[in-house]
Amino acid sequence: MTFSKEQWRMVMALLMVAVLSTIFLGVTNMLTRAPIAEAERQALMDALMQVLPKHDNDPIQDTRQITLPKHKQATTFYLSRNQDRSINAIAWETIAPDGYNGSIRILMAVRPDGSLNAVRITYHQETPGLGDGIMNLHWLDAFVGKSLTNAHWTVKKDGGDFDQFTGATITPRAVVKAIKKGLEMFAREHSHLLENKKQKVKESNDALR
Amino acid sequence: MHCGSGTEEKVSDSKGEIFANGFWHNNAIFAQLLGMCPLLGVTTSAENGFWMGAATLLALLGSNLVVSLVRDFIPSSVRIPAYITIIAAFVSMIGMVMNAWMHEMYLILGLFIPLIVVNCAILGRAEAFASKNTPVNSLVDALAMGSGFTFALVLLGGIREILGQGTCFGFNILGDSYPDVLMFILPPGAFIALGFILAGVNIINRRMAAKKEQQALQTTQIPITLETQS
Repeated sequence: MTFSKEQWRMVMALLMVAVLSTIFLGVTNMLTRAPIAEAERQALMDALMQVLPKHDNDPIQDTRQITLPKHKQATTFYLSRNQDRSINAIAWETIAPDGYNGSIRILMAVRPDGSLNAVRITYHQETPGLGDGIMNLHWLDAFVGKSLTNAHWTVKKDGGDFDQFTGATITPRAVVKAIKKGLEMFAREHSHLLENKKQKVKESNDALR
Repeated sequence: MHCGSGTEEKVSDSKGEIFANGFWHNNAIFAQLLGMCPLLGVTTSAENGFWMGAATLLALLGSNLVVSLVRDFIPSSVRIPAYITIIAAFVSMIGMVMNAWMHEMYLILGLFIPLIVVNCAILGRAEAFASKNTPVNSLVDALAMGSGFTFALVLLGGIREILGQGTCFGFNILGDSYPDVLMFILPPGAFIALGFILAGVNIINRRMAAKKEQQALQTTQIPITLETQS
């Protein structure tokens, strides 16, 4: 099969457009890769600073990767240490898969005694004006100091301790549930998480459920 | 795919006329009703509308310029895939740049940034204008169309933000006692506010036309065509 002159022109024109576009995209990717990583690191840093207590280390460097049971990917745990290297809190991102509009990502920091130090929402797509009340710091402050033993982990409508919002119960319900699950996971795994050695802990394969 | 084709056969060479046409008479939102998806999707606040419009403006400038530069080399039978590739490349680059230096806004606009690729207003300009005009005129057209689009997004975003939260660009306008009309932040509010804006635009256009007729000036036909969005 041979191409006519006209067909060759078409092929070459499309090929040139594709090649040039690829080159420009590649260059842009090279130029923005480092700034994007830096922006993401900064965003994570800002969030960690808000949830962790006073610490004397760099939590972004001081991490443990642990693959939790029933998870495919490893979760990164950020450690916060006192001056004497003892851990005073551990932070990680948990996901509430059942938000009103997609997943909600929650950064939670837990003290060694199993109580929450602070909680922040790092990503959500909830309805502005309704579900996005979960971003409200006043609402998030209700979690400070709460643990599995000193709180009822549902929204008030369901007989628990945490406020729902007018017109939006699904979103706070999902967040409360996810944080509770996070605390339960912490209770099961805290021996691994809090082991006070420097090297990273290997995967925990124990079927603890 | 007939994205705005045929609206632009005769174009004046005057930069002012090209601009007026792109910004108002043939405005992507008010006249062509193109680009409805980002318009209704991200305009919960004036600021979101502004940055969405700015990203679209940049993509338009890039695609109009390049399409105009290569207009003599692309055989017409493969022009649409070529244009789409060019537009997609620009949009991806803008997305990466926003992700790097405007990280928070990038997260807010999210999916709507890559979706600029299929904003019919952009392919429409490549097809209807840039493929037939000089690079300079194409840039003027892109600037006009893009700023007209941004204007529409900021207008709708501003109205929804003021009515829904009592603020504009984050500044408190109506005071703390204002009872937020939540509906305007929600999707129905976008449609309702857009309806009123379009009604207002039609009133203004009709008044302008009547004035021109009264003055017995030669009226240039306002090319309003309803397009189907692909």
